[in-house]
Amino acid sequence: MKYWTLRLFNDRISIQVSMRWLLTVAGWLAVVGGVFLLSLSAGSNWIPLSEVFKQLTGQIDQHTFVVETLRLPRALLALLVGAALGVAGLILQSLVRNPLASPDIIGITSGASLGAVTFISFGAGVISMQYLPLAAILGGLLAALLIYLISWNKGVTPIRLVLIGVGLSAIMKACVTFMLVMSETATTTKSYIWLTGSIYGASWSDVTSMIWWLLIPIPFLIVFGRGLNVTEIGEDFSVSVGIRVQLQQFIFLMCSVMLAGTAAAFAGGIEFVGLMAPHIARRMVHRSFPGLAVVTALVGAFLVIIADLVARTLFLPLDIPAGVFTAAIGAPFFLYLLFRYRNQ
Amino acid sequence: MSKKLLFLLAACMLSVLFLAACGGSEDEGSDAAESDSGNAAEESGAIEVSHAMGTTTIEEKPERVVSLYQGATDTVLAFDVTPVGVVESWVELPMYDYIKDDLQDVTYVGQETQPNLEEIAALEPDVIFASQIRHEEIYEQLSEIAPTIVNETIYDFKETTNLIGQALGEEEKAENLLDEWDGRIADFQEKIGSDENWPMSAAVLNYRPDHARIYVTGFAGSILQELGFEEPIELQGQNEEIVMLNDKEAIPQMNADVFFQFMEETPDVQKNFEEWTAHPLYQNLEAVQNDNVYTVDEVSWNMAGGLQAANEMLDDIYEYFEVEQ
Repeated sequence: MKYWTLRLFNDRISIQVSMRWLLTVAGWLAVVGGVFLLSLSAGSNWIPLSEVFKQLTGQIDQHTFVVETLRLPRALLALLVGAALGVAGLILQSLVRNPLASPDIIGITSGASLGAVTFISFGAGVISMQYLPLAAILGGLLAALLIYLISWNKGVTPIRLVLIGVGLSAIMKACVTFMLVMSETATTTKSYIWLTGSIYGASWSDVTSMIWWLLIPIPFLIVFGRGLNVTEIGEDFSVSVGIRVQLQQFIFLMCSVMLAGTAAAFAGGIEFVGLMAPHIARRMVHRSFPGLAVVTALVGAFLVIIADLVARTLFLPLDIPAGVFTAAIGAPFFLYLLFRYRNQ
Repeated sequence: MSKKLLFLLAACMLSVLFLAACGGSEDEGSDAAESDSGNAAEESGAIEVSHAMGTTTIEEKPERVVSLYQGATDTVLAFDVTPVGVVESWVELPMYDYIKDDLQDVTYVGQETQPNLEEIAALEPDVIFASQIRHEEIYEQLSEIAPTIVNETIYDFKETTNLIGQALGEEEKAENLLDEWDGRIADFQEKIGSDENWPMSAAVLNYRPDHARIYVTGFAGSILQELGFEEPIELQGQNEEIVMLNDKEAIPQMNADVFFQFMEETPDVQKNFEEWTAHPLYQNLEAVQNDNVYTVDEVSWNMAGGLQAANEMLDDIYEYFEVEQ
């Protein structure tokens, strides 16, 4: 296998690129791009791609509302949410060296859910719903801090982080259920839709604020990404090659929270993508973190955008929460991959 | 450990403060926007409606109406206007039987909780009726399609009637409809007043597969209160909206002179209902002892939420208490 290594800033940033990686990324870009275009065309009425192009380049304007106000931001948000969830899962899996770790399992998503459901139950009609994303991010962040603090005992070990996370996640889910049972029927319905996860009603302001939130963790990931490869080998080894394990662990945990929390904030509790996307990506490319992250982001984006496309077109005129389909589409694909690579 | 707790508490309080601050500044912003749009509309003489999410101007008397919640669908029909698009009903899909015939040619635009924006846009409506509790997030998009009038709740049929009246330029009709309603309320109160048991307390009960609920306010509850029924005996003065009973020990909370109950006709609900009503505590309740338990229509008493449904509910009550209309 041939590699090219890209080294920047005095070797502080290094990215390893192989032919296989390039081909995989190109393949996924084509697939994601294809689904993206399809989701601009498909909907209540089919708009041919040629007309979509004319609309986007300003040659015609009869589809302005449908294409530019409804479908385009929705498709973009789906891509961003999927990419964020995938990478959040990848970070956690590398960090705790456990393939079962994902934001939904160690409690970040439950924290965001608790924040959002609390906001919907007490804030609906009182505070503008545009602050719902903030409540979700805060919920995720507080949950992660709580998990981290309780796990702390002269440093945090990954296994304790997972165990405490699972425990706290159960407690927070109980709180969510309690809140659902105690609140009014109309707000309960709203909470349920949020918990299922939906890209419905995406606007341009959602897309731009999501991008702003995503810009925070990305520089950290680029700078510290290569250290994560080493951490996967083991903590002692990392220390011996000069990595500040605790600091790095904390930074990556926070990055994962930012990504998963932001995704939850704008799309609700879409589950399964954080678990699925990294697994699929690992099957296709080698373990170098930055390269893996790019493929994971593409896979995650693919999973969410196709789930949303199916959810809003399969049962027309019904528009169904995309979260219903992320698992339905992800699981068979995952099984196929397991089957395909069974002998490797 | 105590340091950790202190830190967490501080973090929680900070986040609450932050949210509260955000909420405050938001209100100011929308107020300013309201007064601006108000001035512009007065000059052109168009219809102007202030509602839960601001003030909306409708250029001329609207003809193509889209309704995004059950109460508005019901009430628009009461104005003898047939909407071009409505959301699906909760049961008796796609639309409740009592108004199905009036909506034969209507386009269904999805579910009340997540209506299909593309379908709504394709209908090219002149006005859209929505509810804040359901559609707050999509208000901007809806407003781009057509002027959107938003009711705060989904069950306040009087507010729904007022808003629809204003938006359709039929304020007089709205007034007549509500006067008619007030007349019926007064009539019932006058006639029931001679009953020796009046005033009575009433409980609206809903049985679910795993629990039972008492609806104290909401659609049915607010109408019963308007009629002069008292709240369930154990719940008076507690300002409860919905009481969830998760255990049969809580049965005494239901206690009232009259029960109006509704439930889905599924085997698990029926089984739960039979278990609750067979319980010894249930047999002690006033309504049970005096044989004042009525099974009512779930649609008109809870799910429809419009002016016509309210009148149907009132018909039922006239009938149960054997009062001449």
